[in-house]
Amino acid sequence: MNGPVKRRDFLKMMGVSGVGGTLAGCDLPSTVTLEEGKEDVVSYFMPEEYVIPGVGVWFASTCLQCDAGCGIHGRVREGRFLKVEGNPDSPINKGKTCQMGQAGVQSHYNPDRITQPMMREGGKLIAVSWEQANSALKQKLSNAGKKIGWFTGTISGHQSALITNYLDAVDASTESHFTHDVVNAAVWQAVNKDMLGDSMPELHMDKAALILSFGADFLGTWVSPVHFAGKWGEFRSAEAGAGRGTLIQVESKMTLTGGNADLWVPAKSGSEGAIALGLVNYVIKNSPNAGNNISSEQQNLISSYSLEKVAQIAGTSQDYIKRIGDALIKRSPSLVLAGASVEGHEHGYDAVAAIMLLNIVLGNVGKTIQPSNATPFPQLQAKPGNTRDLIEFTNAAKSKKFDVVFFSGSNPVFTAPDSLGLKDALGNVGFKVAVSTFPDETTMQADLVLPLSSYAEDWGTHVPAYQEDRNIVAVQQPLMNNLYSDTKGLGDILLDLLKDKKPDEYGSYKDYYAYLQDAIKTLRGSSSIKEPEAGDLQFWNKTLKTGLIDVADQKNTFASTISTENVTIKLPEEKTDSAYPYQLAPVARLGLYDGRHANLPWLQESPDQISKVVWDSWAEMHPNTAKKIGVSHGDLIEVASENGSIKLKAYIIKGVHPDTIAIPLGQGHEEFGRYAKGLGVNPLKILTARTDSKTGELAMYATRVKVTALGKEDVFVRLGGNDTQVGRKFVRTIPVEVLKRTEGA
Amino acid sequence: MSLSNILNNWSHYRRGAEEGGHHDYEHRWTMAINLDKCIGCNACSVACYSENNLAVVGKAKFDKGQAMHWMRIERYFDESEKEFPDSGASFLPMMCQQCGAATCEPVCPVAATYHTPDGLNAQVYNRCIGSRYCSNNCPFRVRYFNFYSYYESSWPEPLNLQLNPDITVRDKGVMEKCTFCVQRIRVAKDKAKMADRRVIDGEFTTACAQVCPTSAIVFGDTMDKDSQVAKLWKKQQVERVVTKQNKSNSELRGYRIFEELNVDPSVMYMERVRDTEI
Repeated sequence: MNGPVKRRDFLKMMGVSGVGGTLAGCDLPSTVTLEEGKEDVVSYFMPEEYVIPGVGVWFASTCLQCDAGCGIHGRVREGRFLKVEGNPDSPINKGKTCQMGQAGVQSHYNPDRITQPMMREGGKLIAVSWEQANSALKQKLSNAGKKIGWFTGTISGHQSALITNYLDAVDASTESHFTHDVVNAAVWQAVNKDMLGDSMPELHMDKAALILSFGADFLGTWVSPVHFAGKWGEFRSAEAGAGRGTLIQVESKMTLTGGNADLWVPAKSGSEGAIALGLVNYVIKNSPNAGNNISSEQQNLISSYSLEKVAQIAGTSQDYIKRIGDALIKRSPSLVLAGASVEGHEHGYDAVAAIMLLNIVLGNVGKTIQPSNATPFPQLQAKPGNTRDLIEFTNAAKSKKFDVVFFSGSNPVFTAPDSLGLKDALGNVGFKVAVSTFPDETTMQADLVLPLSSYAEDWGTHVPAYQEDRNIVAVQQPLMNNLYSDTKGLGDILLDLLKDKKPDEYGSYKDYYAYLQDAIKTLRGSSSIKEPEAGDLQFWNKTLKTGLIDVADQKNTFASTISTENVTIKLPEEKTDSAYPYQLAPVARLGLYDGRHANLPWLQESPDQISKVVWDSWAEMHPNTAKKIGVSHGDLIEVASENGSIKLKAYIIKGVHPDTIAIPLGQGHEEFGRYAKGLGVNPLKILTARTDSKTGELAMYATRVKVTALGKEDVFVRLGGNDTQVGRKFVRTIPVEVLKRTEGA
Repeated sequence: MSLSNILNNWSHYRRGAEEGGHHDYEHRWTMAINLDKCIGCNACSVACYSENNLAVVGKAKFDKGQAMHWMRIERYFDESEKEFPDSGASFLPMMCQQCGAATCEPVCPVAATYHTPDGLNAQVYNRCIGSRYCSNNCPFRVRYFNFYSYYESSWPEPLNLQLNPDITVRDKGVMEKCTFCVQRIRVAKDKAKMADRRVIDGEFTTACAQVCPTSAIVFGDTMDKDSQVAKLWKKQQVERVVTKQNKSNSELRGYRIFEELNVDPSVMYMERVRDTEI
């Protein structure tokens, strides 16, 4: 045996040569035999360091199943990562998680993970060694010069900073880093930035008496769902300051949040801006307290929106709109939100601005909408994923701007509409490198695949885009050793690239762990850390123990006069198209999300919250619509847009606007492992690539479709058979008056 | 509790719930679920899969009703002729109610399902012969039968490394169900015993209650009068054993599902609320 002898090897050798007997007092379990070269025989009498057989320990880290940045505790026993719990110290999720967070262990132990580097040879991906992969990459990179790009999902922290530094090192512009996510709040953020001067203000739901949400699924997929669900618990509590809060949800398809509304109002997607203006008009006329900081030009515009007119635009009853108006006047403070179905139109920005105007008129700004904390480390700040970057990247690729592009944490080949032409554009990228954990659609298109560690094996820092109350940098640490020896962390891969370009600056770091330790030392040295501890080591230990770094509060300020002047709100007349009579609503769902979790069996078998369907795709339509088309529940239909068609089953449900066909995201994978591949359809594929006129974001809800019945199919696989309780009282409901009498809500 | 003990002391075990049942209870593990806070998000259900080694059965077997979701969320819409469900949906987390007078227990031919001194309906897996009588007799439909072995189909390597070593993986022919995370109860009780104290309220909780993003689920020991769950039951004036609650204020919103069947469920639900003034 060459080299230093490890303690365990030493003991093994002793066991073999029979000197084990010298370990007097240790009971050797008779069933355990120590044989040389048999790694799996481990005696419990001398376990690994830090491992006490049978005792689980928890390590703090950060969940990467979505981009909210929840703190987690990973349960580790005998060196295995077994369970995710929320980290009670984290201000994001306060000890809770969602189902996607729970399923993190299945991401980590997924049987379809990529375990070694692969390179395309003769049209096929062939397994290669890291040496081969690195030398091929090095050559391509040196030929590419500065024609190098990075394509990621939402990213923050030191990994993001390293990408910036790398692009800088090769003289590429920072615009060569594209961040893409289908589920985002990019238009809402742009409006916040322009009107309030703060793109991600704090939303104090617990202080609100009424929440009016236009399609914002804040309990499911919007911005920071676990955080808002925690706030929801307080909002719904009779003991809360404003009493039990009331939710009104206006949307074209009932989301999880809509399912929890006191009043759920069906409205066509795209009409929300008009409804908001109608409500502004109604509130100004009927409430003496309404703020009146509206320009005369806007006043003129608004006065043309009567309740009757907006009800007609929205395709809903005027009574609903009036009830919303009266509730807004009576219940204060309120909070008005705008989600994906508002943003997803060519006039998305204007519609969100109209909704923000309603907040301003109601006096919510400063009460339920408050300035956020600025992070003192701008280079670590989140780069939120959006769809504009997807379009820009496609255009750049079409014009052959890149010779080498790295893809990581995003799956554009799956999420891009066919009409965008991304697949063809990718043909113009000389060398595509996928830094990936799973063989998803984008990875399978790549020329070189670098196997990425799972989030439970990697180091990192993350700055959650939405933060409230406290200002933190979330820290990710490995919860166990690499399952596969050939996988590498994102930070390590980036560091290797940088070492090549800037050996003076990065050469001294052995690995990303060493880099991060040094980087956190630097953070501690800055004046922005709340409790910097006595020394670097103490600070590092505390950081790992709590899983986060507390950063000093540094409140942004809203623009001194909340301006509505620079916002022109132009809402177009609704377009009707007799060839394509229905609106397509591609809705994200808590669970499979945008499709990134379709390979996790727990989430496939976890029923959709509203339809209760498992392992499938479906198209939700209203009974009236179904009658018109002539389909019944479970029938096979074809949903066709100008840009393609998909076949799936019809799900007849009243919680959808009669002009809308709602298809959930997540399924329809052509790759992505045994659990995802070949299941259901992907509605994103048939979207028409229109964009919001102000932000350039993809207008996701602007596609119109027609529906053709294809005849009978089999029934849905779903939880439960009845949509009602059939007279039984399992869930009993009381009106809020009763709660007021009993619990003083 | 051995089989011979049951046979010799049968009359003792036939004592009705109203007589205090057949136990001098050590703990009464109990839940309170606030249906106005529950958002139906499914986090509890998936947390249960993770904690309790629940098998994923796949689409075809799910269709046959063979899914193993110990904790499931049922979704209902109001019965109404209205064009739209404008008061939203109703969500009901449903799992074993750990009945004090459980209908599953007396029908087991081999005493595989029995009552613990903690008030739980326990299932002895290696005693179970798979008659499925208990499942037939459960009004809540929360007992799940292993029609197949799922070792390979549900946990292909390396997914098997995720399995919780604190509990078993059940094999074909065995009935299983929610245990109120008995492995966590076990650890907490052992710890308390070592320190010569009672279990402290909040020192542990079930996987579903721990994960619940809105804190709709509260778990604890109602024999500890200061526990959060005991206080909630008291506040809602919900009593055990009775088939009809006798509340001084009939508007209080705590209730137990199927208590009229005299099964004495250990789970109290609190009514969903809707604002009808808007």
